[in-house]
Amino acid sequence: MSFDPATVAAFIDGELDDLTARRIEREAATDAALAAEIARHRTLKAQLMAHYTPVAEEAVPERLRSLLAVDDAVDDKVDTSLANRRSARRARFSGIHWSAIAASLILGLTIGLRPWMPAADVAIDNGTLVAAGPLAEALDTQLASTQPGDPAVRIVLSFEDKAGRYCRSFESRAIDGIGCREQDRWQIERTLPGQRRGDYRQASSGELAAAAAAMMKRDALDASGERAARDVGWVRHR
Amino acid sequence: MRFEEELVELLPRLRRFARGLARHQSDADDLCQAAIERALKSRDQWQQGTRLDSWMYRITRNLWIDERRAAGRRGVHAPIDDAATQVAGEGAAEVEAGALRGDVDGAMARLPDEQREVVMLVLVEGYAYREAAEILDVPVGTVTSRLARGREALMFYLGEAA
Repeated sequence: MSFDPATVAAFIDGELDDLTARRIEREAATDAALAAEIARHRTLKAQLMAHYTPVAEEAVPERLRSLLAVDDAVDDKVDTSLANRRSARRARFSGIHWSAIAASLILGLTIGLRPWMPAADVAIDNGTLVAAGPLAEALDTQLASTQPGDPAVRIVLSFEDKAGRYCRSFESRAIDGIGCREQDRWQIERTLPGQRRGDYRQASSGELAAAAAAMMKRDALDASGERAARDVGWVRHR
Repeated sequence: MRFEEELVELLPRLRRFARGLARHQSDADDLCQAAIERALKSRDQWQQGTRLDSWMYRITRNLWIDERRAAGRRGVHAPIDDAATQVAGEGAAEVEAGALRGDVDGAMARLPDEQREVVMLVLVEGYAYREAAEILDVPVGTVTSRLARGREALMFYLGEAA
């Protein structure tokens, strides 16, 4: 391996100049030790992200938000903006939850009491497992950075795989896995049994993170990268 | 007004950072609360046009270090140790490679504070080395060496070591 560990770490952290970064990428294609070292670092990063990202997705406790709600006249501005933000958020996600809510009402079920998936999450298309229904919709539209506290499908990471496709790891009640964008559909590449929340969640998250890390071309997309990818319909421009 | 609004926007990330430092969510939220109160009190010290996030992370991190030092004096936690290679946390000796597979909280808890904060800032919060160095008020070289040690230790605990 012709790169020292500090350089490999700097590569993972996006601290190298483009030339050196490209040299590492090129050499990793033929140098198994270097490729393994990169994978080791990516796995750790993916594990940490999978573990801590959900914290930033939780609703901020009232005791913290209330510290920043100022009183008196100017106050209205803050309230309005918070209210606006909340309603904007609601509007954004209403499409995703609509079918689930409608089905629950029709069936006389209560959301939360019994989570109910009205449509199948996966389908077989020409012998290929692809996302369908709410899962496909979540993969299409949902952003890891802005999803609600307890979504039916939780997007964990979005990334570009070595084949140059956009892929997204997800967790849901029925199935956990990784979907990759191919010809207007999400091909399901990895699957694990879905979680009903609880003790096994952590172990499975780690497994999913490791699988994602092994597929990544570079680091997972950050919030703005993810949004940009969604806005172009998950089509890679090469 | 902008100040409060920007702080509200920052809260989800700040909670994540605090969670990485403090491990337990209630402790992390206490830390966030203290940081917000401190920020509101000393908002005059924040210079418009500079990054509010870095400033808030610095406040949060400094409060956490103060808290750890105070607890150390009371004998609650192990005091912060400058010997970076020394592993903090109870029962560290019997932890073997891979014993904490998947237990990110457990593995992070065993890092010395100075490594944990760098891991959070760079690997989770996505700060550049230089930005992390500014937040922590240390040279960039200190950031990279602490980060390297923290990474190796985490890989070891989580079972990724070769």
